[in-house]
Amino acid sequence: MTACLRFAPMIGARPGELTLEEASALAEHLASCGACQGRLADEEALSGMLPEALLAEANRRDFSAFSDEVLTRIPALGRAARPAPRGGMLAPILGWVGHHRLLAAASALAPTLAALALIVYLGQGNAPEGAPVEVSSEGRSTMVLETSEGPVVLLGDLEPEGS
Amino acid sequence: MEADDLALVSRAKAGDPEAFRALVVRTQRKVYAVALGIVKDRDLAWDISQEAFVRVHAHLPEFKGESSFSTWALRIVSHLAIDSVRKERTAIKDDIDDVRETDLAGGGEGILATALGNDPQENALRRELAGKMAEALAQLPEKHRTILVLREVEGLSYEELAERLGLHKGTVMSRLFHARKKMQALLREYAGIERGEAAEGGTEP
Repeated sequence: MTACLRFAPMIGARPGELTLEEASALAEHLASCGACQGRLADEEALSGMLPEALLAEANRRDFSAFSDEVLTRIPALGRAARPAPRGGMLAPILGWVGHHRLLAAASALAPTLAALALIVYLGQGNAPEGAPVEVSSEGRSTMVLETSEGPVVLLGDLEPEGS
Repeated sequence: MEADDLALVSRAKAGDPEAFRALVVRTQRKVYAVALGIVKDRDLAWDISQEAFVRVHAHLPEFKGESSFSTWALRIVSHLAIDSVRKERTAIKDDIDDVRETDLAGGGEGILATALGNDPQENALRRELAGKMAEALAQLPEKHRTILVLREVEGLSYEELAERLGLHKGTVMSRLFHARKKMQALLREYAGIERGEAAEGGTEP
């Protein structure tokens, strides 16, 4: 027991951490002490588990914003911080929208503006009856035929008769 | 890996923010793990980890590559974490480092080793205890958490621990002994193993 007081704290030492005399005396003690053999066995059985456990804790946390938060805290690098990705599969689209807000707003409004322009144009009676009017929006064109029954929108790939 | 780190360090020193970001991403979880082990609180550990990288960036020009980048970053975060819990350390005075006869009595030595067996990959108890280990660590006094994390996660030697913590080598060894003993007692509780079940050799009081 008295010997264990001296040797138990040495258990778990790595090679080279004990003097040659200490290492030799510990080996001799271990050969004859069941309790210290048990201590050594426990130490070896649990070896490596603590780093694993703490890394597992770290892996449970979402680190997607971590590097940006770090860069934001460094004045010289603050501008390099990027917004954290959001929205799963929509993330690239949301990211593009975030960086091109004006273009995105214009894209969303374009079809509406085109439709409004068409209504105003037809309401002013500028289109001669029977003459097809081509309205373009985002690279796709739509043919509108003004008839006595009102405007007829030609959908899909149909071409106006006689064209 | 280390050569890659050195190349990134060179680019980061030259002012490349993406190189520094890559270094952060590579080491952030280990840095956080060390901080969490010492301070227990997840949000505080997060904050300390970020502050560690801020310090790393500030001192990049002084980094000579004598140790790996991650070793250097871990050293910085452990310093910060220890500083942050210093108040807790000074508040608890009743935990002495000496090893006394009562510390050796009825510890159930070898029980965990027997229960965990020889094949770590196949042992369900080992997986269960690994899941409980962070919880057990959080129950230890600050000085025992700190020395276990510095030893087991940061990998410091007795000499390095003595220097870092301002202790004699003998005190480092006895403090580690107490820390491990407490950790093992908690793990035996989690595993539902009664204290003193194992053959104790010559350690009965």
